[in-house]
Amino acid sequence: MIVSWNWLKDYVALDADPAEVELRLMMAGLNHEGTEKVGDDLAIDLEVTSNRPDCLGHIGVAREASVLFDAPLSVPKATPREGTASVSDLTKVRIDCPDLCYRYTARVIRGVKIGPSPDWLTNRLETIGIAAVSNVVDITNYVLMECGQPLHAFDLATLAGAEIIVRGATKGEQFVAIDHKTYELSSGTCVIADASRAVALGGVMGGEVTEVSDSTTDLLIESAEFAPVSIRSTARKLNLHSPSSYRFERGVDPEGVDWASRRCCELILDLAGGELAEGVIDVGRDRTAREPVVLHFSQLERILGINVAPEEVRRILAALGNTETATDSEKVQVTGPSWRRDLTREIDLIEEVARIHGYDQIPEDAAVPMCPSHRTDDDRVLAKVRNVLTGAGFDEALTASVVREAWSDAFSPWTDTAAIQSHTPTLKGADRLRRSLVPSLLGARRVNESVSNPTIELFETARIYLSSSNGLPREQRTLAISTGGDYGTLKGVIETLIKTLNPACHLDVQATRQAFLDADKSCELRLKDQLLGFLGEVTPAGLKAFKLRAQTTIAELSLETLGAIANLTPQHVDQNLFPATSRDLNLIVDEPLRWAELESTVWKSSGECLESVAYQDIYRDTKRDGDEKKRLLFSILLRSASGTLTNKEADKIRDAIVAACTQQHGAKLLG
Amino acid sequence: MALADFIQQLDDISSAAKAAFDAAADSDSIDVARIDFLGAKNGKLKAAQKGLGSVDKADKPEAGKRFNEVKNQVEAAFQAASDRVASGGAGGAGKSAEIFDPTLPGKRPRLGHLHPITQTIDELKDIMGRLGFSVADGPEIEDERHNFEALNIPADHPARDPLENFYLATAQKSQAGPLLLRSQTSTVQIRVMEETPPPVRIISLGRVYRPDTADATHYPMFHQIEGLLVDTKVTMADLKSVLRLFATSYLGHDVHVRFRPSFFPFTEPSVEADMSWNDNWIEFGGAGMVDPNVLSAVGYDPEEVSGFAFGLGIERLCMRRHNITDIRDLYKNDVRFLHQF
Repeated sequence: MIVSWNWLKDYVALDADPAEVELRLMMAGLNHEGTEKVGDDLAIDLEVTSNRPDCLGHIGVAREASVLFDAPLSVPKATPREGTASVSDLTKVRIDCPDLCYRYTARVIRGVKIGPSPDWLTNRLETIGIAAVSNVVDITNYVLMECGQPLHAFDLATLAGAEIIVRGATKGEQFVAIDHKTYELSSGTCVIADASRAVALGGVMGGEVTEVSDSTTDLLIESAEFAPVSIRSTARKLNLHSPSSYRFERGVDPEGVDWASRRCCELILDLAGGELAEGVIDVGRDRTAREPVVLHFSQLERILGINVAPEEVRRILAALGNTETATDSEKVQVTGPSWRRDLTREIDLIEEVARIHGYDQIPEDAAVPMCPSHRTDDDRVLAKVRNVLTGAGFDEALTASVVREAWSDAFSPWTDTAAIQSHTPTLKGADRLRRSLVPSLLGARRVNESVSNPTIELFETARIYLSSSNGLPREQRTLAISTGGDYGTLKGVIETLIKTLNPACHLDVQATRQAFLDADKSCELRLKDQLLGFLGEVTPAGLKAFKLRAQTTIAELSLETLGAIANLTPQHVDQNLFPATSRDLNLIVDEPLRWAELESTVWKSSGECLESVAYQDIYRDTKRDGDEKKRLLFSILLRSASGTLTNKEADKIRDAIVAACTQQHGAKLLG
Repeated sequence: MALADFIQQLDDISSAAKAAFDAAADSDSIDVARIDFLGAKNGKLKAAQKGLGSVDKADKPEAGKRFNEVKNQVEAAFQAASDRVASGGAGGAGKSAEIFDPTLPGKRPRLGHLHPITQTIDELKDIMGRLGFSVADGPEIEDERHNFEALNIPADHPARDPLENFYLATAQKSQAGPLLLRSQTSTVQIRVMEETPPPVRIISLGRVYRPDTADATHYPMFHQIEGLLVDTKVTMADLKSVLRLFATSYLGHDVHVRFRPSFFPFTEPSVEADMSWNDNWIEFGGAGMVDPNVLSAVGYDPEEVSGFAFGLGIERLCMRRHNITDIRDLYKNDVRFLHQF
């Protein structure tokens, strides 16, 4: 809302300079956005929140100033001189859609002379950024900006049957607006029609045929109240946003409808001449009486933390236009003014008192009681996960939750059920709630490749969205990792992660088939009997789909499963202080034998003293060992709880391990 | 010559020799030092030995003893230097021209960086944790009750316009009606209060979604932090004081808070909170006393308890702190960007 400084002072005498008025208005709820000098006037830009449509006119702002500066407010009486002809003989009005139009008033002025407005009027409109058109149109705009009630002047001679019918549009009905464009209407749009066709979009825009022109002599002045929701949807559907629709959307003062009509007619008689018909046509619903609201003075301290003297409370409420109907030492009862339909509850009055009395009166050093807080286990697990990954050289990415269809379809290891869709895309074309973070990380790799970043190691922790047959969809907290390293590198990172969260936990792998993951170098990761996630090298086809040049390996893990196994309070175990002995083993085994099987045999055959088994390497020497054989090199660390192991004892354990491996896997000790 | 002078001369030779041999990095420089100190003709020790003759007779035994000690020290320093060069940095036995360069860069482990939004969130959680607020979590996909109705946002409110929200096309209609991506983290307040009797003292953080065209200051997804305290006798003075403690902790020096009236459906009174920073008032976030309708909607008695709530955009705090001027940079994940923080 742009306010003219000169205009504002018509209604309230202000001694303070504009800067102080701006500040006080801002601290009472009208945020000051800026001030510009226009001629000898100031255009003050105030932000009006949606609950305060009363401040979408100069009088409303003046009222705030009058309360803040304790200066009287003077509002014009608006008493136009009426002629002898009765308005009901000149026109008639009918509302066919009471849910779209609550009230419609019409006055008629005959014999006006259209011409330019006087300077005082055009100057004021110019200050607030409205171009002058002609005296009648300028006056409707002036009164709109004076009190916030939109008005429309019809050329009475062009209204077929000289009547107004307020009705819903028929589907597909055509309408030529004042901007000379033709609009196709849908049902639910409120139109103002004459006997033959729509002549205006109620509250949104006038029509071409009935607009005031230089030759107009007789006017019908509309002042009405339209349903906010209907105005909003029409303005939005047709992309027709105007100062009028803006005010109707927020709700106009139901008692101000007639005042605005009278004020408009008064100014037209003054500036454009003519004779006002006697009376007004006023149709629509009856105004309901406002319920009184009681404010208990004690509630002010309960909510605001400060006391406000009852006399001050009553002064503020009265100055804001509330009518006091009863009071005693504990409370005051008021009826809110018609322009403040937001004042219906005790808390509404508390806010009024607070903002006028001043929020600066509220202390900022209250003794708020202390209270323990605790870190959630989820956050503690997440902190460990982030520590491991950043320590391992991974940077944390944050990517969008909603992705394009192609990305959504590219990789979905957790579910086959279709992705949840949003009706409107979030970013260009992205309308699928992601079922995996991996495509987003591959997209981030692409961004990094495009700027030639040499090392791209990324992880993200976020939710994925899985459809559920009942209730809200399942949001699984998930960790995804993407590295330029290979399967083994990333598996090592995951193993370290698991060992950090719970050293007793063992990671198992199972075969998996995932689109865009190498059939061999990929797996499903499992902890105990729970699915942990997926790991694999991206295939050339996968790289191509994401326009990636360099090899990458990805993994995606359930943070929920990680949380379930995490041991957040590890317990101390006494360390064995005897020295350890190690033995290296080099076994020739069949090619298909997997490390996990051999390792399991090692553990089972080694007795109490085996502390750890460390895989070293695989070699192949087909000339000596034959085809389909490989050499597995590993070392074992032995330590006894009862004393230092002798070489003999250590050799004995090693021999038992070799024997078991030979017996169960046909392994042959080398060297 | 007085004995003391002679001894002083010997000590000077000893320390100079030690310094020279220690500094010698290769066999050539050791040789130079050897000739300088141990040279048979013009070595410094040889010269000192000549001075022995001029010491008083009575002091001669003491002087001779000291001379031999120093000679041994110098020879030991020569030997040590020779051994060092032969075995050490020279990369094997024999002579080498290689010189250790201590200015070569070290082997740096690559450390990953946390996203600046995560770092901001962690700090906010930390501060609010010290003020007694625990973290509460809730779903990002919400029903209309939690995103709107219980928050006192009626069906005809503009905030509920389908074009202002990301409504979802779910295969199965939820019992609670249509679903949408939450437009604010206040949803978590409702879920917590529905489950927990007062007092409640929580913060909720996370992703929220609103249809905005992406530009330097808008992105359709962003992060919010929201605080809620409900108890008996909670006032706006408590709100102001908690926000002041919060702002002071975050900015690290004494900060003041002011309230400007505002409007939010779920709080009343509603305010915009500003904090003073470098003699300017800067916007902090929206706040207010929990609207009685919200308390009633979760089964609390608004006459028994009162509460305050506040919410701030995390991107804005993060961007202001790190001088990031385009919100889209936060979501590109260029590792050069990430490595700045």
